[in-house]
Amino acid sequence: MERINKFKLVLWIILGIALAAGITRFIFGLGATTNLSDTTPWGFWIGFDVMGGVALAAGGFVIAAFNYIFGRKEFHSISRAAILTAFLGYVAVVIGLLFDLGLPWNIWHMIIFWNPHSPLFEVGWCVMLYLTVLFLEFMPVVLERFPNLHLLSKIHKVLTKIRIPLVVLGIMLSTLHQSSLGSLFLTMPYRLHPLWWSPILPVIFFVSAICLGLMMVIVENMTSSYLYKREFEENILGKLSRIAVYLLLFYLVLRFGDIIIRGAGIFLFQASWGTYLFWLELALTVFIPLIIFIIPKLRKQPNFLYLGALSGVFGIVLNRLNVGGLTHLTNLTKSGSFYFPSWLELSISAGVVSLAMLAFFYFIENYSVWDEKPKDIDSEPLTVPKFNTNYVYLGPTKTANRVKFSFAFVIAFGLAFALISGKHIYSKGFDKTPVYKARGGDTLLIDGNRNGYGVMFPHKFHGDSIKIACGKCHHLNKPKDKNTQCFECHNDMYLTGDAFRHDWHTSAQGANLNCFECHKHNVNKGEEFRGNMAAITKLCLKCHNDLFPADVKVKILKTYVTLSYTDAMHKLCINCHKERLAADSLLRKSKPGLALCSNCHPKPAQYSAEHKLFTKQNVNKWVVVPPRLK
Amino acid sequence: MEDLLNFAKGPLFRFSFAVMLLGLLRLFVLSLINGFEAKKKAPDKSIPKGYVRKLTWGYLFPIRAFRTKPIYSLVSIIFHIGFILTPLLLYSHALLFSESIGFSWMGISLSKPVADNLALITIFAGIILLLLRLTSKITRSISRKQDYLWLLLLVVPFITGYVCSAVVTEPATYKTFLTIHVLSGDFIFIFMPFTKIAHCILLPLSQWVTARSWKFVPEAGENIEKILGKEGQKL
Repeated sequence: MERINKFKLVLWIILGIALAAGITRFIFGLGATTNLSDTTPWGFWIGFDVMGGVALAAGGFVIAAFNYIFGRKEFHSISRAAILTAFLGYVAVVIGLLFDLGLPWNIWHMIIFWNPHSPLFEVGWCVMLYLTVLFLEFMPVVLERFPNLHLLSKIHKVLTKIRIPLVVLGIMLSTLHQSSLGSLFLTMPYRLHPLWWSPILPVIFFVSAICLGLMMVIVENMTSSYLYKREFEENILGKLSRIAVYLLLFYLVLRFGDIIIRGAGIFLFQASWGTYLFWLELALTVFIPLIIFIIPKLRKQPNFLYLGALSGVFGIVLNRLNVGGLTHLTNLTKSGSFYFPSWLELSISAGVVSLAMLAFFYFIENYSVWDEKPKDIDSEPLTVPKFNTNYVYLGPTKTANRVKFSFAFVIAFGLAFALISGKHIYSKGFDKTPVYKARGGDTLLIDGNRNGYGVMFPHKFHGDSIKIACGKCHHLNKPKDKNTQCFECHNDMYLTGDAFRHDWHTSAQGANLNCFECHKHNVNKGEEFRGNMAAITKLCLKCHNDLFPADVKVKILKTYVTLSYTDAMHKLCINCHKERLAADSLLRKSKPGLALCSNCHPKPAQYSAEHKLFTKQNVNKWVVVPPRLK
Repeated sequence: MEDLLNFAKGPLFRFSFAVMLLGLLRLFVLSLINGFEAKKKAPDKSIPKGYVRKLTWGYLFPIRAFRTKPIYSLVSIIFHIGFILTPLLLYSHALLFSESIGFSWMGISLSKPVADNLALITIFAGIILLLLRLTSKITRSISRKQDYLWLLLLVVPFITGYVCSAVVTEPATYKTFLTIHVLSGDFIFIFMPFTKIAHCILLPLSQWVTARSWKFVPEAGENIEKILGKEGQKL
């Protein structure tokens, strides 16, 4: 197999994984696929797909500017590939954005409902317009292939005539939105780390985008040349790297000047995660490329040139990731929620990139993006297949590729889909918060989750002094028990519970009952199970005749779903207090606040940082259908 | 056993189901592309449309075959109907789908006696097909090992499913049978796109592709002895 085919095979595998992740994202939502939360709503998809993608596509306007505006005609041979990269990059940005938007079908709202005060509005419009411009800029390459079709050749003529205005428009739009992506973060000086937040963030973004554009063209050109075993344009890339030196120096001065003038220099030499990230980013972005590009001996070696450009690309993408989420103080400090992208997020991003790459290879192979097309695989003289029993002949390269790639895609999709566990599909939801027994004797301390903030409940007073029937609160007993306590059935602070446990009743280790001891034997699964479960199921009372205490008035058992502990307590206490208030006019005067919060909770609750509602749930990894309580 | 069952209905089922759906789709698309490419390369672009249509309909609704092989045709049709309808329209399967993805076809599912009887009929049809394959000398000589194996594997989920639905009530035995049921179903799904069972999606195309790429003489299949010039010879 040739290099390019091996590479394409890998891309198809990634695409298969991404498709599985994408389907899960659209069916089961963002909560099921990402690690994003309310405190970190922007994550990897915004940082890499959108901000990184837009910056990576900057090569298009930079090369177009050098070629058409500054008259550096030597860049003409790489300009088509650069524009194609930019076009596909922006398509990838839009596709990636669709995954991240909560309501992707509302993406057109920006066109109708204007909000001129928002930088995001400007970014949206510019990306939309620039995508159109790039499409028109690249269109001639496709139309060239059909010189015989009258209409298409006419369009081709028009497009070549308006090329210069298009290029100018493209540069203008790029300038606007490359910087506006930085403006988005101007609103959060207290959220973004001081080494990154700056009033000149738009300028920093724009300058770094130009640097990235130049280095990305080098990387893209050298990679595709390597894959297609073709001579890369060493001369032109050398020139590009020399231009990049000045820009990188300017970026370095800008960055450090800004930090020092703002007075944020103190953060430069701290032992903290943010500072390490900053130095890593700068080393990748500026120092490594500068050293390689300045020393002619290193620059002339393709390996080093590639290393320098690649490190620059990684550095500036890291910059976008840092600004987009990694260095937000919610992420860096202990009190916030830590965000790291889930493998589904990463795979969708990788899938979008590989889709763009496959499209790039398609255009390279079928249209004259380069001066000379790569060798057509099918034009090779047919080799006689070897008749070997261990070797399956799949046909000429193109057909064989088709078979192999689609097979890899299907298997990768299946494996990824298998790995997306029920946990993902059912979203993370709430963590379980077990409830503990109320302590005390005559006075009970009701503190279900033992967080130190409880209610003192005068148990004896309610029973002996004001003669509330026991059954008012102890409304149900567990089998063979008396005065079953609240926490035994209401066993989660915030979630509904299951007082029956169907699994336990059917399991061999538990009650070991067969289905028809509770469900009617002559039942037709096809029909009666559908709506009327209650009619064909035995009530609990048939087997357990000691469930109701003697003094309970209403002896009906409708459901085995129990309320959460907090809900059960509040419902019981507040309702009863309200009833008493309504019935007793004397009590209304002596204790007017009987049904208010402050009656039971004299002190306001204190926030405890350790207590987290939203944490990862790690149980039920393999179970597809957890018992859903309806 | 519990873990195995959970694995079989969880990751393994998702893998096999995805592989089946996408794999069959892949085969369909690949054979479409191959058919068009064959047309591009062929010097003679015509295809015997009427003949292809007749053969395809003949395979999809084998009414004409009743004249020559009535028992085989009848049993085969019953087996196919049972094999497709029972699992697809079973209420329990529809319920599983609605529990996991939120929507389902519970409204059109079969009632339990119908489903149970259909499963029994399918099992018997499968066994009769196996016997027919074993008793005839011609079919035996063109059968490979996997042809017998497939028939047996196809019947396993029906037997275990019927046992689960109508015979066992004891939880431990039920779970054992259910595990075999799910596992055998998973294996059928996985192997479907890579073996002869792929005819379920390739059948509408196979005659078309054959006519496009191989250029056989029309009705070569029926008159194979005449075409090959081997009339009157022993099999």
